[in-house]
Amino acid sequence: MISDRLIEQDTLTTDGTRSSVEVRIPWYRALPASCIAGVEFTVDGVTAPPESLTWTMNGRTFGIGELAEHTEEWWFPADSAVVTGALALAPGGEHTVRVGLRLYIPYIVTAHGVLRIEEHDTKTMEAQVRR
Amino acid sequence: MSAALGTPIQGVTLYSFTRAFHGRRYDLEGLVREVAARGLGPGLEIIGFSSFRGFPHLDEATIDGFRALVAETGLVPTSLAVNTDVGIRRDRLMTDEELVEYMRRQIEAAARLGFPIARVQIGLTPDTMERLLPVAERYGVTLALEVHAHQHAQAPAILRLRDRYDKLGSPLLGFTADWGATVSGFAPSLLEAYRRRGAPPGLLSAVVELWEEYRRQGPPYSEAEHGGRFSAFIELAARHGRPDLGVDMAVNGTGLFGPAPVAGWHEIQPWVRHVHGKFFGIDGTGEEPSVPVRELIALLVGAGYSGAVSSEYEGWHWNSWDDAFDMVAGEQAVQRSAAERAGSRMITDPRQARDLLPAHLARTPA
Repeated sequence: MISDRLIEQDTLTTDGTRSSVEVRIPWYRALPASCIAGVEFTVDGVTAPPESLTWTMNGRTFGIGELAEHTEEWWFPADSAVVTGALALAPGGEHTVRVGLRLYIPYIVTAHGVLRIEEHDTKTMEAQVRR
Repeated sequence: MSAALGTPIQGVTLYSFTRAFHGRRYDLEGLVREVAARGLGPGLEIIGFSSFRGFPHLDEATIDGFRALVAETGLVPTSLAVNTDVGIRRDRLMTDEELVEYMRRQIEAAARLGFPIARVQIGLTPDTMERLLPVAERYGVTLALEVHAHQHAQAPAILRLRDRYDKLGSPLLGFTADWGATVSGFAPSLLEAYRRRGAPPGLLSAVVELWEEYRRQGPPYSEAEHGGRFSAFIELAARHGRPDLGVDMAVNGTGLFGPAPVAGWHEIQPWVRHVHGKFFGIDGTGEEPSVPVRELIALLVGAGYSGAVSSEYEGWHWNSWDDAFDMVAGEQAVQRSAAERAGSRMITDPRQARDLLPAHLARTPA
């Protein structure tokens, strides 16, 4: 759903070793951190190691593995979250950014458990230096 | 059947404008003002978790601000759509105790915001609905469980709820009838969207044929039957070389386009407290090509229904070329025309709506 908006255009930043991009929820309503089932962050074909990923929303930063525990922190549909991972990038120049996101939809329980959806988006943008 | 013809109340759910809100073209206040300015009310439905940051925990300023906005625009709050998020934890589903408290907080928010109805969902059973009746009474809010495809008015889970409602005899427990359960065709705008994604014509005609076959068979009566249909759409897409479209076709073909007959609604009509006027598009002739809006309005009028109909445009999932505000205006024009043809009319005057809605909700199903 509305996966073309998953990556916010022109939000790629880097400090040289770690890089970040802003993402939007591909769903119509707020979901809690515990419903963010998985994230992949790839720039120019290189995928950030999963254990290096962090997720920032509402002013709080979580390791990706910590999200599952947090039913109290909600991702609102008009708000961006920031995905950061260990990706070495040179500033400037065009980069191809791909984000994959899996979400649990907590009110839809199927024969296979709570419904999990997968969305992805790819956009091209320059990397800004983050200080 | 009621002797008096119904006068359904026109209105809209802000869900219809998800793309505009998600795209930050409007905030909540802007959307409510736009709805009022375009005359798409008077009924106003909102999804709590979509529109209120921090829902269901709302501070006094948010409550006061919303109530002032409603008063200023003259709109009439109908239903606050709340969610039965039983699967919010990763280690297990909620217990019934947790679910009742989770719903209580949202029902309280509905009351504070001034909504007389809370739309609840199928995750609630007859037992949990019965446990929520004292909550509904405490806050004076009607709980209207949504009958949404792949469910339908004659499905076993829905009839079990109806029978419990009948036993409990309270006007505060009922249903939201979603027109997506009784769709008459595979939406042409979705076929156009698949075409734009390069789907071969053979796949598109096969998808339509499969859906029409299920419509001839009637809606599913078990989860296994539903699951079999879901898989059939996935397999069809794969056979035509587009496995990437399979899940989308299955979700829409079974979960948005429910193939139940319109007359099936009679099974639960006395308990219908609210209606989602679900639709997917308005064509060049001004009609909805795949939802029998005229037949559905005639049924409501004939049944004496004077509750609200929230126009619910869902074509925005795939339709990025039409304007959602124009689509809603188009569906409401069809509704008004249909009500007149049925010998009645839709209520568009806010004062009349404010009188009729409490009277409708106070009526105990006979």
